[in-house]
Amino acid sequence: MFEVMNAGLETAIQDYPGRVGYWNQGFPPSGPMDHWSFRLANVLVGNEPGDAALECQFTGPELRFHEDTVVAVTGGDMQPHIDGEPIELWRSYAVKAGQTLKLSYAKTGARGYIAVAGAIRTEPWLGSRATFHKAGVGGFEGRAIQAGQQIPTGDASGGTPDMVVIPEARPELPSDKRWEIEVVAGPNDDWLDEAGVRTFLEADWKLSAKSDRTGYRLEGPGDRLTFADKAINKRPEHGSEPSNIIDQGYPNGAINLAGLTPIILVKDGPSMGGFINPFTVPTSGFWKLGQVRPGEVIRFRAISVDEAQRLAREMTRICSRESLRPA
Amino acid sequence: MAEHTVEAQLPGVFYRRPSPEAEPFVAEGDTVTADDTVGLIELMKSYHEIKAGVAGTVKSFLVDNEGDVDPGQGLVVIESN
Repeated sequence: MFEVMNAGLETAIQDYPGRVGYWNQGFPPSGPMDHWSFRLANVLVGNEPGDAALECQFTGPELRFHEDTVVAVTGGDMQPHIDGEPIELWRSYAVKAGQTLKLSYAKTGARGYIAVAGAIRTEPWLGSRATFHKAGVGGFEGRAIQAGQQIPTGDASGGTPDMVVIPEARPELPSDKRWEIEVVAGPNDDWLDEAGVRTFLEADWKLSAKSDRTGYRLEGPGDRLTFADKAINKRPEHGSEPSNIIDQGYPNGAINLAGLTPIILVKDGPSMGGFINPFTVPTSGFWKLGQVRPGEVIRFRAISVDEAQRLAREMTRICSRESLRPA
Repeated sequence: MAEHTVEAQLPGVFYRRPSPEAEPFVAEGDTVTADDTVGLIELMKSYHEIKAGVAGTVKSFLVDNEGDVDPGQGLVVIESN
């Protein structure tokens, strides 16, 4: 068990791949935005890669441990300290009962991950401990953690202190505020014309501050997007604007064209609606959405579904004990 | 008298006013207490208050209204009492 001394900014319990299997009933998967860093945090402390751990957003929490355990912090650099002493990211540490782990604001990236040996053991809901704030389910009491809460954890005796993630297995954050993020075509890429697709893929899109775990709003040349004939001359049930389509299911990661504003539908996003999704961010590119900050620039790179799946398999291989060595 | 720079701890958009029609929280030359709000940072569809941190006089703003900010960036200079 650990106690929340200070919650940070919307710090929440997540697991991976989250609440899968209820999309048809409107429940999103939730789970960590940066599943690469998340899984490695778990692996470092001896947990399974998908076990429940904490996702910290922009400003991390302060926790006090009530038993001897092992912790690791990964992802963006939230300047973690144990009892006032700085610790390294991508490394597991033994902590004693009574010690505190304190994170500050993210100097790099946007999200940090804290894994604890034995993993967080709150009550699962529909098969997952992932927090879905909007519906108030999962996690601890259905929302971000709060100061004063006691968070249950499992048996820490299998914890693996003093391990590090080899540098080649760590995600690399750009130093120039520019991100190249993989996308796959579809489901509605054919609603843009050729020039529209080119504009979409060649533009700089700036991440808006009006972005959260539901959707990432992008600022850019949306008004220059051009549409295929089927988007313009269509049956009335599709709606009047070129980006309107009769209500359809949305893939998680879909880049939703709401009018002329692209919004990437992320981990707590909607399951359906009446806008087109010309491109989708696949699992393999998704971790980057967890680390890009408002004001930073995204450029999309189209890859095939086969390539996206190959990259996702590669990432799963990396998120394992293969990537650890003793410190 | 010492100069104190209020720094952003969050990335996002800096606002000097509580709403577009409202007066700015503070202007150059105003006196503030440590607990006074000097601006907002918008992040994750929420607005986070920025406190002066020290009592003194507002000397200058280092970021325009609705400017993008990054953690560690200076926002407001306050000449402390």
